[in-house]
Amino acid sequence: MMFSAILSKHSASLFCPASPSMAPHGYRRVSSQMGWLSARRKPRVQSIMEGVSLWLAVLLMLFVQPLYAEASTGSEDSAGVLHFVNAKGQWQEPALVLGSDFDVRVSGLIADSRLVRTFRNTSDQWREGVFVFPLPETASVYGLTMKVGERTIVGEVQPREEAKKTYEKARDSGRHAATVEQQQPNLFTTRVANIPPGATVSVELNYQQLVGYQDGIFELSVPTTLIPRYMPGEPLATSSQQWKGGWAVPTTEVPDADSISPFTVDVADVAVDSHRASLRFTIDAGLPLAQVSSPSHQLATEQDGGVVTVKPQAGNIVMNRDFVLRWQPFAGQEPGAAVFQQRWDGEDYLLAMVVPGRAGKTRLPRELTFVIDTSGSMAGESIRQAREALQMGLETLAPGDRFNVIQFNSQPHALFVQPEMATPNNLARARHYVSQLQADGGTEMAPALTMALQSHGRGVGELAEDASPRVRQVVFMTDGAVGNESALFGQIRRQLGDQRLFTVAIGSAPNRHFMREAARWGRGSYTAVQDLADISGPLARLFTAMEAPVLTDIEVNWPGQSVSTQDDSFPQRPGDLFQGEPLLQVVRGVPAAGELSVSGRLPGGGKWQQSLDLQQAASGTGLHRYWAREKINSLLDEARVQAQEPDKEQITRLAVEHSLMSPYTSFVAVDATPARDLESALLKDNLPTLLPAGSQSGMTRYPQTATAAPLLVALGLFGLMLCVAIAMMQRRAYP
Amino acid sequence: MSRLLLLLITSSATLLVFGLWIPLKAVVAQELLEIAWAESQARQTASRPWPWADTWPVAKLSMPDLGDSMIVLAGVHGESLAFGPGQMMGGRGPQGAVIIAGHRDTHFRPLKYLEPGNELRLQSRDGSWQSYRVHETRIVDSRSEFIDTRQLPEDTLLLVTCYPFDSMDPGGPLRYVVEARSQQTDTVAGL
Repeated sequence: MMFSAILSKHSASLFCPASPSMAPHGYRRVSSQMGWLSARRKPRVQSIMEGVSLWLAVLLMLFVQPLYAEASTGSEDSAGVLHFVNAKGQWQEPALVLGSDFDVRVSGLIADSRLVRTFRNTSDQWREGVFVFPLPETASVYGLTMKVGERTIVGEVQPREEAKKTYEKARDSGRHAATVEQQQPNLFTTRVANIPPGATVSVELNYQQLVGYQDGIFELSVPTTLIPRYMPGEPLATSSQQWKGGWAVPTTEVPDADSISPFTVDVADVAVDSHRASLRFTIDAGLPLAQVSSPSHQLATEQDGGVVTVKPQAGNIVMNRDFVLRWQPFAGQEPGAAVFQQRWDGEDYLLAMVVPGRAGKTRLPRELTFVIDTSGSMAGESIRQAREALQMGLETLAPGDRFNVIQFNSQPHALFVQPEMATPNNLARARHYVSQLQADGGTEMAPALTMALQSHGRGVGELAEDASPRVRQVVFMTDGAVGNESALFGQIRRQLGDQRLFTVAIGSAPNRHFMREAARWGRGSYTAVQDLADISGPLARLFTAMEAPVLTDIEVNWPGQSVSTQDDSFPQRPGDLFQGEPLLQVVRGVPAAGELSVSGRLPGGGKWQQSLDLQQAASGTGLHRYWAREKINSLLDEARVQAQEPDKEQITRLAVEHSLMSPYTSFVAVDATPARDLESALLKDNLPTLLPAGSQSGMTRYPQTATAAPLLVALGLFGLMLCVAIAMMQRRAYP
Repeated sequence: MSRLLLLLITSSATLLVFGLWIPLKAVVAQELLEIAWAESQARQTASRPWPWADTWPVAKLSMPDLGDSMIVLAGVHGESLAFGPGQMMGGRGPQGAVIIAGHRDTHFRPLKYLEPGNELRLQSRDGSWQSYRVHETRIVDSRSEFIDTRQLPEDTLLLVTCYPFDSMDPGGPLRYVVEARSQQTDTVAGL
């Protein structure tokens, strides 16, 4: 309104007769030339022009007016609904800036990590920070330390409920406090209370993990973000909660959906220095290394004697992609066996690794089912990787094999009704089908698994016709973005029969816990693919390995042979081993003396045996934690097999004894003295996680739904009015 | 000076024509779409409203309380929204949430008059009408909020347009969302 008022006033002044001397001389001729035309009709033209300009002014006012009317109405009612939007509807970056520092020390087969998360409060209010983060799927968290200014507070393990209460009490009384709890074996939530305005609180987490070893290559992955999980089932709450800031609501199948699905944002949506991690790896492999490489990041490597220090070349990395590090001994020096021992709290712990040799190949005709995840979370780079991986899988089929391709999102869909022979015609159809796959929709894995595992069952009658026995295998390609893992493992166990399930992890931040466990329950192996450039190596190894298991019916005998020893060695029933896979065993209560003997059956039916002198054991650290974690896992497995509630008390006791995080124990650190006086409010900040690189959000962005029409019309009208005004001014000046 | 003036007049007039062309196109296109929609229904296939169109009508949205109706197109890319509101999601099968987005300056301008309780009707290609009732309207910030398509209840119809309705800024971050829930399916075929 005001604007148009000024405009009209302005225009009015333009219509006033201006002094002739104001006009620049060069234009006099032009106007005088035009003068003879208009001289006769001057009064009429002028009145018309005046009329036109008035109308234009009115029109302009009509268009411009709403712009100012709208400014006052505002959008107050959006307050509270939006996650990072304040009461005035303005976008706010989270007040907390997150920094992460990983210091990983690898010694032998165990990597010990110190992860420091710093929460810097950039606002002038007290804050509570909540952050959901992933850790490696084999991580055992064993320590929490909080640092506020100069003070260091060491955390302790408490039963989960108790830890929660301790934390909440400390938070409400204004004391510094931090807690970390386990949501899924590879997903954790950290809460930090009472971060003073402008100050930084850091939370140090200690965890250890087993180094992966396969085909002579050691591998360690450090996840930095998580792929948004799909939550099957009906929402438990009926309100429109699932809108709120991107946090999913609990569903019937995933009751903890709200605590494992943080708001996922693009890198551009967080502060420039937030969500960056510095990493440092110190590798003491114990044997000379030929190569240290990473399929995910550029490395800067330094060697000092037998110890290699590795950092990302770029300095700090953006936390939107798993950091994967591989190191490799010189050819011919790959370890074939290893033993580590540790004495802790009066008990002996031993960790043994044995790599069976290469077996001669006896190739049996196969029946291969490829299952590919085409859900929304796979959109972007992931679906391209998966298509590529599937095409590679199709190439490994030999004449005489049967195969099928199943894709699934909200519903499964199979290429063939039942597995078909790998004829050129069928393969061409499959290639075409695969190349057309698009990612969209939900991740309903259960029906897809049923379809893949049961279709084999249906084929049995028909298969009896050709007498040759077939190896039945399912290759499952997915990012594992599901929240109901546990139910799926149970289903795999029930439906598996004599088949094997192999998993291929796709994308830059797959759910590795799901991949590993699904393969374990499916008596197969798991492979992770980093990006399109890295796809052929790991997959080629997988498809070679799949042709036949190297070793079955494995038996492990520790010296002493007592029943308690057998009960205390894990895994209790070693699964079948594939080409290049090591056998790992951890045991408590066996001193480093005598011989460990391992035996198994080779594919040809021959017997394989190897014994290991335990006196050669090198001393290791953290073995007791690895043992305790394996024991807890085996207790959880047992409960799943028997479909019972796990023995909560025993697990809690074990975890507290070894100072470990578990589903039933959490870490909590509380400062003794209150820091915040209770008059000043404490605001909660849920820190978002970054969307994995190359993936598209399962959440749709709102489209752009306005045209430039009002702007164009207003500008056009304004311009025309200006023209009329100038023309009239000229006319008045030089009649 | 007069040359300058001429230039100014021409450019302003061009702006004005372009500005008026957008709503005109929106109105004219809907007329053509009506024909294409009738043809789609008759043939039960996607029929393009004009030979070079990259979109086709997928539904008809009617707002009986406002006495307005329009043809909904497939997809929401900028070009297709100029002709009619676009269906971002849904429409595969009778079940599933449907999200329709439209320009606030043209087709979805009436959205601001919708109130909770108002009726919305959506006709699919087979001629059946699905009836919805407005559940709530709200304003969201598109920079911080997303539509979690996997968590939407199946019987939802979302209408999305830009907010504020009278803003001149075509790139504003706010969106106006009308959420409607379906009522029992109306199986009587519409005309």
